[in-house]
Amino acid sequence: MGEGRFCLVEGGLPPGLEGMLAPYLARQRWFAGTGAPSAVSVLESGALSEPPTGGRLLWAVVAAPEDRYQLLLAERASDQAADRVAGHEAALVGSAGGRTYYDATVDGEMAIALLEAASGGTEHADIARPLVAEQSNTSVVYDDRLILKIFRRLSGGPNLDAEVTTALARVGFAHVARPVLRWRKGATDLAFGQEYLAGGTDGWALALTSLRDLYAPEVTGSEAPTGEEVAGPGQKGGDFAGEAERLGLVTAEMHLSMAGAFGTSRDWSSSWARLLASAEAELQAIGPDLARAAQPLFQRFQAVSDLGLALRPHGDYHLGQVMRTDSGWYVLDFEGEPNRPVEERLRALSPMKDVAGMLRSFDYAAQFGAAQYRDAQFDLAGPGAGGPVAETLESLAMAWEARNVEAFLHGYLGCSGIEELLPASAGDREALGLAFELEKVLYELSYERAFRPGWAAIPLNALRRLCEGLGGAFAGLAGRAGGVREGKAG
Amino acid sequence: MAGTARVSGTASQDVRWYERAVFYEVLVRGFFDKNDDGTGDIPGLIAKLDYLEWLGIDCIWLLPFYQSPLRDGGYDISDFWTVLPEYGQIADAAQLVDEAHRRGIRVIADLVMNHTSDQHPWFQESRQDRTNPRADWYVWSDDDQRYGKARVIFVDTEKSNWSWDPQRGQYYFHRFFYHQPDLNYDNPEVADTMLDVVRYWLDIGLDGFRLDAVPYLFERDGTNCENLPETHSYLKRLRKEVDSLYPGKVLLAEANQWPEDVVEYFGSGDECHMCFHFPLMPRMFMAVRREQRYPVTEILARTPPVPEGCTWGIFLRNHDELTLEMVTDEERDYMWSEYAKDPRMKRNLGIGRRLAPLVDSDRRVAELLNSLLFSLPGSPVLYYGDEIGMGDNIYLGDRDGVRTPMQWSPDRNAGFSRADFAQLYLPPLMDPVYGYQAVNVEAQMRNPSSLLHWMRRMLEVRRQHPVFGTGTMTVVSTDNPSVLAYVREPAEGAGTGEGRPVHTAVPEADEALAAVAGVVGNAPGAQGAGRAETLPADVVLCIGNLSRFAQPAMLPLQRWRGMTPIELVGRVPFPTIGEDSYFITLPPYGFYWFALVERSISGSC
Repeated sequence: MGEGRFCLVEGGLPPGLEGMLAPYLARQRWFAGTGAPSAVSVLESGALSEPPTGGRLLWAVVAAPEDRYQLLLAERASDQAADRVAGHEAALVGSAGGRTYYDATVDGEMAIALLEAASGGTEHADIARPLVAEQSNTSVVYDDRLILKIFRRLSGGPNLDAEVTTALARVGFAHVARPVLRWRKGATDLAFGQEYLAGGTDGWALALTSLRDLYAPEVTGSEAPTGEEVAGPGQKGGDFAGEAERLGLVTAEMHLSMAGAFGTSRDWSSSWARLLASAEAELQAIGPDLARAAQPLFQRFQAVSDLGLALRPHGDYHLGQVMRTDSGWYVLDFEGEPNRPVEERLRALSPMKDVAGMLRSFDYAAQFGAAQYRDAQFDLAGPGAGGPVAETLESLAMAWEARNVEAFLHGYLGCSGIEELLPASAGDREALGLAFELEKVLYELSYERAFRPGWAAIPLNALRRLCEGLGGAFAGLAGRAGGVREGKAG
Repeated sequence: MAGTARVSGTASQDVRWYERAVFYEVLVRGFFDKNDDGTGDIPGLIAKLDYLEWLGIDCIWLLPFYQSPLRDGGYDISDFWTVLPEYGQIADAAQLVDEAHRRGIRVIADLVMNHTSDQHPWFQESRQDRTNPRADWYVWSDDDQRYGKARVIFVDTEKSNWSWDPQRGQYYFHRFFYHQPDLNYDNPEVADTMLDVVRYWLDIGLDGFRLDAVPYLFERDGTNCENLPETHSYLKRLRKEVDSLYPGKVLLAEANQWPEDVVEYFGSGDECHMCFHFPLMPRMFMAVRREQRYPVTEILARTPPVPEGCTWGIFLRNHDELTLEMVTDEERDYMWSEYAKDPRMKRNLGIGRRLAPLVDSDRRVAELLNSLLFSLPGSPVLYYGDEIGMGDNIYLGDRDGVRTPMQWSPDRNAGFSRADFAQLYLPPLMDPVYGYQAVNVEAQMRNPSSLLHWMRRMLEVRRQHPVFGTGTMTVVSTDNPSVLAYVREPAEGAGTGEGRPVHTAVPEADEALAAVAGVVGNAPGAQGAGRAETLPADVVLCIGNLSRFAQPAMLPLQRWRGMTPIELVGRVPFPTIGEDSYFITLPPYGFYWFALVERSISGSC
């Protein structure tokens, strides 16, 4: 793996530019604040390189005001810049002294210059294209071969994703995209380059393809001859169970590799106690009746005698973090839940944390898919709700979730060696799973209420199910686990 | 194209014709009955050559037409030197080849080298006693324990690979049915005689062979008696013989195995020219069923590169499909085990169904699957009747369900034969959906929007772009798993390699595209010596929607920025590829083929 040396040339951002940075930052998806920052100050800046066709590639770290952000700006003569910025107006910072400044990642030549600088000249490319759908970082794909993730909010230390991915690759875990380069300044990760998984699709898109196949005939009535039974997810062409099972196996292999790379700990009862306490407090805040209903659940948690081993989990494991390629599933983004503090993300926990995360994602996908049909406004309580179609959708959603949870766990528990990380008894495993499911649901609920109130019904319904003992993804794991290991994975 | 011998005239220059050819599998028995006896024959096939020329196929593949007791569809040959009398005489075969060549069509035929019928005079002689001149032409043994590691392939009907011959008082070895004794290739007389058989038919004019059951020629103790080095060296000998005496003839191996094993039959370009790609077929159906591309892209990613001058034979349907019984190690292919669990997909296994019933007679799916067949790497093999969407009769059992008479017209007996109905070898289809009243060549030739016309048009487009046959394939990434996009482009250095024949480009097509796109240098007056350099490279972009719903896709085509996609069927120019990913929408089961063409800077009109 390349280790790009950080090397700046004199002459950073011109003084006139500082004042234009606030509105620029406010337009960026990776900017964490809401609205324009009150003040932006340039902490460091300089030129990284001068591409052959002119202009300069500038680098800067700015404080805005409490977080630090990495900027990569192209500087070109204004008449040359116009064409390159066209269609990327959000990337424009502004002009000063006959020169125009804009985000370098939208300028192919500048992006290639960046790759060369970040790799210390070991990597070259002909074509660069920025990915558009990203939230907290900026990624550029080079020649459909290499992807460079540029970290935007700098933590002042190693980036968790770069660190974990590199460590997993080192212990031979084959399901992460191979690390190619790590660009650092001191201890701070600035960018991380990996093999690009060409032809891949994220798990969320693949799951929705399966769900579309399941739901569409019910909604359009086009394919179900009257009187015929509704085809369950196992009879449909888009069945996802094979994918879910293989994903389960890869997840177990990831945990075994995590254990190999970062070690395990037997005593994590204080984290467990903290998890239960904070879940209980959050439940109280949501509604005392829910908390009351959840009493038996918490009694089960308290009764767990064997917690199994703790290890560094993926931390934010869901269908959007896994990629299906021609050579199977790959795991991405080991940064953990972005809204939790770093210390918390580093905490060793049972691998059931990730299992719960993925199983929650199956529920999300099933409900999101159903809601797409039920109501274009995504208002689950709206006028579209109810009625026979909605009921059928609901039962199909639950059948899809149950089938794929089962398949995922079959793959996961079928991986040899995984039982050494888990509690010995199936009952304790189930309790652990339910606890992490509860933690995840509560996290989802607070996230949705803050950012996407229309989606809050998904975690809220799941929360009711859990608290009222109507089941969750893990309910019944105890009953299933016995037979599971007999089946051969893959 | 005029000219008496389109094929033989070009044979010397175009020895790699098979890389760009479209094959058409014909059952002589079922194609056309010239002598009104109820069974199709070679003169009947000759009478329909004009139709095949019109359709635009390049090579006919004949199922076995040799003398045979027909206990295994003719794969039990009882005389290599004669034609089955119901089909005609040797002279008819010679005439077929001449007439086909006159139309620019080549002819290959099945040849079974591993075994003969037990009715073959060689076997009749060999079984007499242990001392006759052909005593050692078959594999004899005093016990039935030898070669115990060789699996029994037809497990449903055969208990052992050995059968007792009371006449000789010994066991004989057979990898297939008990009535098909294996020839003993360790006997040099056998090895030489089979080369005589090959020369005999190539002298008559055949353009090559599909070699049946090729992995099993030799037997060795302690092995599974498949893919042995001795078998490969015999194939090398065969290839050498063919290349030196009959350049431009093709050997197509039937090795019903996974691509990573089958590639061995290409040798280092010195064994077979072609091998069938078996697992691709079910995966094309699976991709449509799953509405996602991975079943296809995954198997292509796992397919090893083939040596120079070799290519795959690919198909949607033929009589020769991968069956579950042939898969000895299911674990090696998880998609396969998934596929076998799906009740709807199971019926695609084996040989029971034709294309149209498999896709519920959905014309859009049939077209999409054919568009894949015609544009994925390899030479497509069509099965007779699928070009008009013929159905099957599953009640006929075994392989007969897909071997009903070709449906030529709505007339009596589907226009296949003027014999009495009761005399037909099999009844033609008469059901309201697929019967010959509804589905036949005559009606579809009159209807310009028929499947038949569509097939013909697509074959024409394919012919105009040799890159479909010879180019590399690169999958274009897209976030939408229901969309499969790939680019076919000439291999790097193609046409410049030493000894590599320059493929006949089709200048008319290039010129037409150039005109549509306003290619630089194609202005009037730019013809002449410099013209060739200005012709666009043959780059084709294929995009298919595997879903029954409309789909969008963002395609990262930046490598081809500045190029203009021109839709190949209607010659419609699409917006030029720019710096950003290319956005395209596809109707349900829709697909596009685009030529990527350099556009002039002035871009007039």
